[in-house]
Amino acid sequence: MKLGLENFHFAGGFSVISKILLGGVFTLLLPQVLSAEQIRGPESIEFFDRAMRFFEMRDHSVRVVALGSVLIGISCGMMGSYVVTRKLSLFGDTLSHAVLPGIAIGFLWAESKDNLALLLGASFAGFLGVACISLLKKFTKISQDSALGIVLSGFYAVGICMLTRIQKMDFGNQSGLDTYLFGQVSALSTNDLIGVCASLVLITLFITLNYKELLISGFDPEYARSVRLPADILQYLLWALLAFCVITSLQVVGVILASALLIIPAASASLLAKRMSSYLCIAASLGAISGLVGAFLSFLGERLPTGPLIVLTASFLFLLILVFRPHHGILVCWVKSRLQSHRIAMENTLKAIYQVIERHNFSETSIRMEELMQRRNLGSGECMKEVNRLSRSGFATASLDPHSPSGLPPEKRVSLTPKGWEYACRIVRNHRLWELYLTNEARYAPDHVHEDAEKIEHVLGEETIRELERILSNPRRDPHGKLIPSLVDIERGWLG
Amino acid sequence: MELMDVSLFPAFDFSRVFIEPWKTPASVAWNGQVILMGLFICWTCGVLGSFIVVRRMALMGDAISHGILPGLALAFLFTGSLALAPMWVGACLAGLACSYCIEWLRLHTPIRQDAALGLVFTSFFALGVTLISLGAGDVHLDPDCILYGEIGFVPLSPSLRIGGMDLGNQALWTMGGVCSLIMGAVLVFYRHLLVSSFDSTLARSMGIRVRRIHFGLMLGLALATVACLESVGVILVVAMLVFPSVTASFFFVRLSSLLWASFPLGAAYSIGGFHLAQWLDCSLAGAMATFAGIVFIPCCLLGPQDGIIWKLRRGTNNFRMN
Amino acid sequence: MNNPHKPLEIHDLTVSYQRKPVLYGIDLEIEEGSLVGVIGPNGAGKSTLVKTIMNMVKPNGGYVKIFGRAPKAGISRIGYVPQRETVDWDFPVTVMDVVLMGRYGHLGWLRKIGETDRRIACECLEQVHMLPYANRQIGNLSGGQQQRVFLARALAQESSLYLMDEPFAGVDAVTEKTIVSILKEMRDRGKTLVIVHHDLASAREYFDHLLLLNMRKVAYGKTEEVFKPDLLQKTYGGRLSILSDMASKSAGVRVIEKEAYFTEK
Repeated sequence: MKLGLENFHFAGGFSVISKILLGGVFTLLLPQVLSAEQIRGPESIEFFDRAMRFFEMRDHSVRVVALGSVLIGISCGMMGSYVVTRKLSLFGDTLSHAVLPGIAIGFLWAESKDNLALLLGASFAGFLGVACISLLKKFTKISQDSALGIVLSGFYAVGICMLTRIQKMDFGNQSGLDTYLFGQVSALSTNDLIGVCASLVLITLFITLNYKELLISGFDPEYARSVRLPADILQYLLWALLAFCVITSLQVVGVILASALLIIPAASASLLAKRMSSYLCIAASLGAISGLVGAFLSFLGERLPTGPLIVLTASFLFLLILVFRPHHGILVCWVKSRLQSHRIAMENTLKAIYQVIERHNFSETSIRMEELMQRRNLGSGECMKEVNRLSRSGFATASLDPHSPSGLPPEKRVSLTPKGWEYACRIVRNHRLWELYLTNEARYAPDHVHEDAEKIEHVLGEETIRELERILSNPRRDPHGKLIPSLVDIERGWLG
Repeated sequence: MELMDVSLFPAFDFSRVFIEPWKTPASVAWNGQVILMGLFICWTCGVLGSFIVVRRMALMGDAISHGILPGLALAFLFTGSLALAPMWVGACLAGLACSYCIEWLRLHTPIRQDAALGLVFTSFFALGVTLISLGAGDVHLDPDCILYGEIGFVPLSPSLRIGGMDLGNQALWTMGGVCSLIMGAVLVFYRHLLVSSFDSTLARSMGIRVRRIHFGLMLGLALATVACLESVGVILVVAMLVFPSVTASFFFVRLSSLLWASFPLGAAYSIGGFHLAQWLDCSLAGAMATFAGIVFIPCCLLGPQDGIIWKLRRGTNNFRMN
Repeated sequence: MNNPHKPLEIHDLTVSYQRKPVLYGIDLEIEEGSLVGVIGPNGAGKSTLVKTIMNMVKPNGGYVKIFGRAPKAGISRIGYVPQRETVDWDFPVTVMDVVLMGRYGHLGWLRKIGETDRRIACECLEQVHMLPYANRQIGNLSGGQQQRVFLARALAQESSLYLMDEPFAGVDAVTEKTIVSILKEMRDRGKTLVIVHHDLASAREYFDHLLLLNMRKVAYGKTEEVFKPDLLQKTYGGRLSILSDMASKSAGVRVIEKEAYFTEK
């Protein structure tokens, strides 16, 4: 647990680098990070106190952890945007497993948990893994997923062998090693933070400098090559950065979940963003939020692992976006389909009323409820509900028939308001125009067109109607010989 | 105290690596159990893996094997014991849920399959780890064990007793049962699996439920994973799934041959890995998977079907002819 | 064979899926023993038609009947030759394995592949001149050879209705001639063949019936009756834009209520 302080003499350097590179927000925060002494409070702090302590950010460890998680979230989010759009999602996963033997070698080389050695070893193993995948892809017919599987499990197995071997060997300080499997954010040192910052800076620089080149080569590599963009070099640089990003985030989230931080924020962004720039911003901010919230949550409990909680926060955000995103979100779709089915039901009722009136040769302005029930094939309760909904929207009014024969309960009658009448005419007009269009222009048999028009009548827009009128030169009769209510009729209000 | 060996590769001592494990009857019994367990695991995973690899779902194995973790954790939290039955039910349900979520995301959102896969299984795994550390922190169900397992502890497993009869090692029986179950299912459904993997339209026209076959395979995978978990851990399950059939594909061109080849290969991994671990004194499961990798390299280079060497030589010949 | 039902009956079939080519109110009846070419421009819904018949796509309206049965039950009587791009050519199966797959439908549960099946498979391979390649892995064949293997598999299925999606795509001229002669021979034996084809020039000599398709059925009939400039112009002369707009819009409309079906007469 003391690892956080062991490299304190780097602190000054850290502050300078980050001040230059990170600017505004963090400059306020960093001096405190560096000057504060580490306080490990008593283990039995209340839940609320813990939350307060987190937000006050007075502890050094809290600041390091929160800052580290946020920074890693940002860099993984940005890197992940390219990983996901280039279909490399599982590449990150493979890479994060493949670095394990490198970590072991780095440890052996330095004979202690020296960050630089581990980083170098991990980078070496990562690049070796990438090379293996490319070779397998180039020289054999092994499919991509199997090649990834082979490199992932093969390298990981070698790594496990070496780690278990190291545990049998006589090294005093090997405690930090197994944190690489799950990540241990509390062991994050300021030295680690430098690595995280460096990777963030590198990634930001690379992306801002090569933004349009990356965009072109990602979207259309053939075209990129044809305009002499070094698409391959960009690809390799991207892989190298990816490896670097994964390696620096290992300490926080661990081998298994490093790829999650790459994929999940970026996949969430893919649901929202329309452009690469907004994609990057959304992914980075989602990464940052998950980092912060995950760190907070893990601080609340005693043994809670930070890495998995960060990942869980990211997945929770993903779920939220999946449900609540505009246009295609589950909630929006549900509401839309509810509204649409209400509208369609209403339109069908209006049309049914029109048809009943038409059957009476437009001699009466109101119809009996019973007729409507027959026409709509609904029970009286449901029918009443429909009519009530119509009258609430001001399309129809329901009344009791004063002329009904005495002795019996008075009959219910429905009549359309002028607004309702106009609406009904329009629906009927849509229906019949479409039938006519199908029969005349698309050459369908007249007995085929009704079912289709039943659906289309609800989605025909004003423009399409004008277009249909033009094509059919303002027809008066539909294929079944019925009157198509014309615009003039609709405006005049009544037919017949 | 004896000074420990400090080099990564200890001196190779033939008698220590190959003779000592088989010297006394007791050590033969002990190590025999370990190797038998390895055989069962390699065979089960090899046979399942052949189908998974030809369906281009090699990483689905990775996904499912991680995805069962929350099932294990929940089963433990609800029953409060490490009894097998609830664990298995939990793991299989979680595995199926994981593959269902991947399918759903792929079909109903613009997210592509690889991203969906990475997204779902890491989330499941994170959930599992969190649940474990929330509720089962002190118990034997620790994430390390799930990650790389310890097949060397197999002989320590309690013995299975039915009606007072001592039938021997319980873990071995369980794994053997799963192995024979999966072999039996593959024998019975071989044609269904073959046709639905190769040409799902033909399969449908023959009345095969392609989706059911898919989820059946995923269920088998979850079953195999949970059975192997304690011994070899999650990632090495992936190795055992992928390596046999990919290695064999450099020698054979028929699915049935790939399946048969996974038996000798499995034996080689198990025995070779055991002795490698004896030599290096490291994790047995890791050594088995490493040995699989060691076998893979020469096969990939020299295999008669599209081995890299032959391809390169053919390439230079063509070059000369031109 | 005296079958009271037509091999393929399509009634008022409407298929639409997210902004992709759609079919609109297709009516079709195919007689037994006809060799039908389905032609139309790109995106006319040819493949969608095949997929709907093969029950891979659910129609929004109308129905397909195969020998009088719904597709789910009926497709067991269809021999299907898939489009070449949809096949995984690295799959570890040999030519013989692929052809034997055609026999699986005739085998019972757990029954082994018998001598008869092998003999039939060999005969089918012989018919397409592929017997010498029986033990090759399918990836090691040329495009034309691969197509012939799938034809042999369809032959081995001994179906009465065959459905082929672009069997001539990426095939050399000699193979094309071989395939056509086999198709004609199959027709002469009373099989019904429906073939999606993209080349207008050769369609006339290959098929005896043509279905001109462009979202809707433009025409269906004997080749000499249908292969007319005005009908072809209609097929290839762009689509009815309103129709396609509305078709994709209506895909979003779910029929929520079961309404009384009132015929407006």
